[in-house]
Amino acid sequence: MRTFFYFVLFMVIAVGVIFLAAVLGARGAWYFAWLVGTAMIVLISAAGGALLDTQEEHAAERAAAERERS
Amino acid sequence: MINGTVVTLSRIQFASTALYHFLFVPLTLGLSFLLAAIETVYVTTGKSIYKDMARFWGKLLMINFALGVATGLTMEFQFGTNWSFYSGFVGDIFGAPLAIEGLMAFFMESTFIGLMVFGWERLSRGQHLAVTWLVAFGSNLSALWILVANSFMQNPRGAAFDPLTMRMQLTSFQQLIFNPDAQSKFVHTSVAGYVTAAIFVAGVSAYYMLRNRHVDLAKRSFRMAALFGVLATIAVITLGDALGFVDARVQPTKLAAMEAVWQSEPAPMPFNLIAFPSQAKRENLGAVRVPYLLSLLVTHSLSGTVPGADALERRAVQQIEGGIPAVQALKVLARDPGNAAALAEFNAHRKDLGYGFLVQRYAPDLNDVTPAQMERAARDIMPPVAAVFWSFRVMVALGLLMLAYFVIAVLYTLRNKIQRKTWLLKMGVWMIPVPFIANEAGWLVAELGRQPWTVFDVLPTWMSASTHSVAYMAFSLIGFLVLYTAFIAVEMYLMVRAIKLGPAVHGDSGGASAQPRPSLAPRVAPAAPYGGKLEG
Repeated sequence: MRTFFYFVLFMVIAVGVIFLAAVLGARGAWYFAWLVGTAMIVLISAAGGALLDTQEEHAAERAAAERERS
Repeated sequence: MINGTVVTLSRIQFASTALYHFLFVPLTLGLSFLLAAIETVYVTTGKSIYKDMARFWGKLLMINFALGVATGLTMEFQFGTNWSFYSGFVGDIFGAPLAIEGLMAFFMESTFIGLMVFGWERLSRGQHLAVTWLVAFGSNLSALWILVANSFMQNPRGAAFDPLTMRMQLTSFQQLIFNPDAQSKFVHTSVAGYVTAAIFVAGVSAYYMLRNRHVDLAKRSFRMAALFGVLATIAVITLGDALGFVDARVQPTKLAAMEAVWQSEPAPMPFNLIAFPSQAKRENLGAVRVPYLLSLLVTHSLSGTVPGADALERRAVQQIEGGIPAVQALKVLARDPGNAAALAEFNAHRKDLGYGFLVQRYAPDLNDVTPAQMERAARDIMPPVAAVFWSFRVMVALGLLMLAYFVIAVLYTLRNKIQRKTWLLKMGVWMIPVPFIANEAGWLVAELGRQPWTVFDVLPTWMSASTHSVAYMAFSLIGFLVLYTAFIAVEMYLMVRAIKLGPAVHGDSGGASAQPRPSLAPRVAPAAPYGGKLEG
């Protein structure tokens, strides 16, 4: 049931995006660019935060491995 | 006729309240989306530091939001109190987006911001994330509507003057909201807010790193802000170019003022990098020019030209000649709405109506307008060139400075070396005021560049104000300045206090004098301080 709910939710979002792209793409290209661009800026920023965690985990693992060797 | 001093005081009052208000707005526009980014990481990774970050930056957003709403409210009332003729003239068009903006700001945005701040313990993580995204969209969509209204003043589309009701009436809502000026201005303004928030978050994070406080939180905030900022700055510059491209077609006098072009020249036109424009002499003193660049920047081709003030003023004289019979016909229709001859005369000259109003300032009865009066009115079409020219350059220079800062910041933060670059961190703290100055300069370009019109080419500023007394305007202006300065002082006090206190639930880490709070000790362990620690 939960999977079905998410399926419906994502389908609604997909249809909404297609509708927005069709309408805004023709009449308000900058509005559409704002929607897409904002999502991109937010997600790249979020990915940058997550990447820092990964970098620090790798650095900690390397440091631990060096301590073991020494 | 409205007293010229009253018009000037009304303008100063609106300009000062708008400039004060816009010290708060961009931070809300950008910080709400940066919060959405932080909380998205929290929900997807489950690492509690991102919750600490979201709560801390959310507290600063709340302080800023409250004062932003307080300063914004008075602006909307000022349309009615100080610009009553304007409100009557274009209220049918201007009122709708303004009302939607009010609904967005006070219903959607305020409701969800309450849930965002007080809902941490009451909502699930997914629900809270949805609320944070709604706050971000709500704040930016409320800005959309006020910018749609503003863009109507810059490029009046989707409306026509009705000589029987004696006011502008909406003819196409689609044209109003899809106005090219509204589109590029909304995106330009919204992403300028993102840049403001990114500089603010990077600057505060740099302050913490320099003092070795909340280092884990500050590093992550700085990284996210730098990436957010570099992309937003690229976008704001791109949209600035798009807005300039629109202005070249719909507001040639604003463009001529921005570039201090007094005389038309053949293509390719040079760009005035530095100049000291003289409004009286219609020339630039001490100009430093870059060949070909103006044609390329404005028209995106080497064969394009920008009309100078001389050509625009000559055209204005012809438009004034066409506008005089339109205003005279309107006066007849005011007395006798059924007069078919007057209606036909009005319709023949209706496109120049605004220019008829413009010359009426110097020839109130319009029956015997002299060439000197027409020339004087035509010279009025140029905005204050020096102020527009320099505001534009300040905005652009600061935008490029922020781009350079973010590019360097991204390079170092992606290599995880930002803490070693103390010069960059110190610069980050000093950069905090920069986007605010750039934003104010941008609005000065937009609004001073619209002069002498409240609605471009349609309604002159001189006849738009209310008929208050000078004493009333002076008193209310001083009142607003005192009140708004107090708001700024309160905002700065609360912000600085919140920043000095730091995140309530997040211990200091790494500082010699700063002891981690016992309950948070696992978070500041040297290896993998937040790795895999999920919220209970």
